This record gives sequence, C-alpha cells and structure tokens, in this order.
Amino acid sequence: MSLRKLMDWFDNRLGISDVLSFMTKKDIPQHKHSIWYYTGSSILLFFCIQVVTGFMLALYYRPTLEEANASVARIMTEVPMGWLVRSLHSWSASFMIIFVFVHLLSIWITKAYRPPREITWMTGVFLLVVSLAFGFTGYLLPWDDLSLSATKVGTDIPRAIPVMGAWVTKFLRGGEDVTGDTLTRFFSIHISILPVFAFLFLAFHLFLIQKHGVSYPLELEEKKERVKTLPFWPNFVYREMVVWLVLIGILCTVVIFLPPSLDTQADLMAPAPEGVKPEWYFLFLFQTLKIFPSQMLIVSGETMAILLILLGFMLFFFLPLFDTKPTEWRGKLITFSAYIVVLYAVIMSVWSLL
Amino acid sequence: MKIKYSLITRRNFLNGLLGGWAAALMASFISPALKFVFPPYREPDEVILPWSEYKDMSPNSTKIFPWGSKPGIFKQNDDGTHTAFVGVCTHLDCNVTYIPDQRKFFCACHDGWYDENGIQIAGPPPTPMRKLEITIEGEDLIIRKPGVKVE
Repeated sequence: MSLRKLMDWFDNRLGISDVLSFMTKKDIPQHKHSIWYYTGSSILLFFCIQVVTGFMLALYYRPTLEEANASVARIMTEVPMGWLVRSLHSWSASFMIIFVFVHLLSIWITKAYRPPREITWMTGVFLLVVSLAFGFTGYLLPWDDLSLSATKVGTDIPRAIPVMGAWVTKFLRGGEDVTGDTLTRFFSIHISILPVFAFLFLAFHLFLIQKHGVSYPLELEEKKERVKTLPFWPNFVYREMVVWLVLIGILCTVVIFLPPSLDTQADLMAPAPEGVKPEWYFLFLFQTLKIFPSQMLIVSGETMAILLILLGFMLFFFLPLFDTKPTEWRGKLITFSAYIVVLYAVIMSVWSLL
Repeated sequence: MKIKYSLITRRNFLNGLLGGWAAALMASFISPALKFVFPPYREPDEVILPWSEYKDMSPNSTKIFPWGSKPGIFKQNDDGTHTAFVGVCTHLDCNVTYIPDQRKFFCACHDGWYDENGIQIAGPPPTPMRKLEITIEGEDLIIRKPGVKVE
C-alpha cells in the first residue's frame, strides 16, 4: 500500500503513467518490411554499450604522448577484464556503424523520410556524422604506429578544401603537425564534445519519431487501416529484446576470439609503417581519394575528389527534399541510386584491401 | 495432497522465470564490469634490493624502500640485527616516520605512536605495524611477506 502511495506521488509529479499509456497505445505495423524497424533499437543497444565501456576505459586511459600506449597496454594486460572491455568498445563501435549504415539505407530505400519526416532523416544524418567522428577520433587513442599514420592522412585531407581547408586541418591537429596535442585534443573531442552532440541529436531524433509515429511503407500508405499492428509495449519491445540478445551473442563471440591488437608506441620521427589503412568504414572514401589523378582541370585531383564527396554528402543530407514524387521516375531513380552507392562502397573497399 | 487452487498463477510463474533469468543475465554483464572498476591491490610477495646499499647503515637508523606502492622501512638495530616494516600506520594507512632520538615510529595524521619494534604505544593505531621477513643471499637483500614461499 505504501509502495503504491509512493508510486502515485511520483506519478502525480512526473506523469509516468501517461508515458506508459502512450507506449501501450503506440502501434508498430507488421508487414514484409517490418524487419527494418529493429535496426534503430539495435543502434541504441550498441550505443549504450559504447557509453558504458567508454566510461570504464576512461578510468584507466591516459591521453598523453608518454602514457597513452602504455595505459592501453595496461588495460589489456593488467586491469582485470580490461581486454574484454577494450575489445567490447572496439567491436561494438564497428557493429554500431554497420547498423547505422543499414538503418539509413533502409530508410532511403523504403522512402520512410517522406513528409513530415524530413527533419528526422536530417538528424539521423547528423548522427551518422557524429558516429563516424567518434570512430575517427577513437582510432588515434591507442597511439600506435598505425593509428598515428591513419590520423596524419585523415587530418591532412581537409587541407585540399579551398579557402578554409588549411584552417580545419590546423584545428583538428592542434597545430601544423600531429603531435601529443592532437592526441589530447582527440581525446577531449571523443569523450566530451561528441557525446554532447550525440545525446542532443539522439534525443531530438527519438522525440520526432514519437511525434510522427512509425512510418508505413509506400505501398501500404493507402490501406493503413487493414495493416496488422503490434503494440509497442510490451509485444514489440520483447521482440526487440530477442534481437538484442542475438546481437550480444554475436558481439561477445567476436569480442572474445578476435580482440583488437596494440602495436608498439607511435614514434613521431619514425617512417610510416606499410599498409596504413583507416577503419573499414572509411575505406571507400580512402580509395576514392587514391584513384583521382594528381591534376584535374584547374584544381588538384584531391581537391576535386573532396568537393565531389562533399557534394554527394549534401545531396544525401537533403535527400527527402529532392525525393518529392516517390512514384514517378525521379523517385525510382533515387531508390536505385541507393543500390549503386552500396555497390560502389563495397567495390572501393575491397579494392583498397587488395 | 491436491489443492484446489494453485498458489501461484501460471502468469506469475512465467513472469518470475523470465524476471529471474533476466536478473541472472544482467548479473553476468555487471560482474566483469565490477571486476574492471575495482582492480585488486596487488601487494608484492617479495622485493629484491642491493645489499651493498644497506649493509653499512649506522645503528638505530632507517632507510625507505618501495614495497609495492607503499613505503617499506628497513631498520638497523643496535645489536646488528635488522627489521623491516610496511611503513604505513595501521590506523588509516598514512606513511609513518622513524624518530631515532625517541626510538619511536610516528604517524602525523592522527598522532599515532609505535615503539622501535613497531608495537603501538599511543594514539589511535589498533595493531602493531606489519613486519616483513628479511633474508640475505649473496649480494641480494630479499624482503618477503611473512609466510610466502617464492621459488
């Protein structure tokens, strides 16, 4: 009885029961494309794992030139379960990026960004950028040969952008070159600046999804009334939990059998090691930059490549604004272009590994 | 005996089963996390020091050596024997210092006092200072935790 009173006290002040009844009334349509509804919460699962393991790694990691590599080595060898936590953080990052890609592609292909969901899509693209920035800054933190060289290449790329590029490179590196200052800077970006953006955009993204409800596929839009639905709570959430368990199982398997390596401490004076590669999700961009000739028309090939990549990104970001006539040829072309982009990314990534 | 009504409904039973299973699963996630967050303090079993630096000490004097992350105190006694202590107060872990004039160990944190054998004589310390075993093998001064056998 007193527990009930306590619950009522909180409910009168927080309105928990309103949220709960909203969740029970929220319906998830069931159809042949329903599987894509699970990708969002899978991203959230991996994001939560990143937050928790990230907090934990920050207890031991030291972001300085002298100690970064040694502190990661210590996490891997001395700290109890340290290898597990680092391996989880590293693998869960990749899993999250995979699901971010799948999530965005599924929305692109099913055109779930139709009005009024354009801004939901744009916040999603922001979250993609934030996720990639997390990956890029995190890659440097173990401070070994490979991560140093990859960061040198990565931070040099903006330099090819006319006018403001050199300034961007300087900002990222905290100076002209990659040094200990870059490491400290990347650490700060990784653990304080990006999380703030991630949480803000995530909250906004989730709010918009609640506001507009789940999107129906194009072909079912007309006959919404006849589509079978599932209550969000508890039916759909339980199904999501099953998916999470399977994903955690796969994650733990690779985490245990394929823990990330740690090379010798980066030496700023040493020549770059062979086979410098970024994380897998940057490979297609890496290869794109490689295949451009050194000089094109009046600008350098690199500048041309970067301008094209930026143009492609802008098109991607504003996609819902172009894709206004989904059933006409333009809409079909946009759907088709999603498959072309995937094909391009896969071919380029494989090529870069050869 | 057959009871007319089940004491526990099928729903309650299944909810309990699912809840218990979920709690066990969470425990399996949380236990490695707790292990990671609270690393055990690993005290060394032994430290090996160069005997040459210690053998010519004057009587009633002490020298500090690193015992893990704590100071160890090596003491030369009047009769030519030696004693080694873990140099922290048994009250709240502050580092103690030896005062040769008074033949006492002193902890400044809460005014704790030990005699020259490490027995508490005044102030808050509840137990004597921890003693360590000393062996001298050739050039090595080996200081061990009592009762530990190192191969």
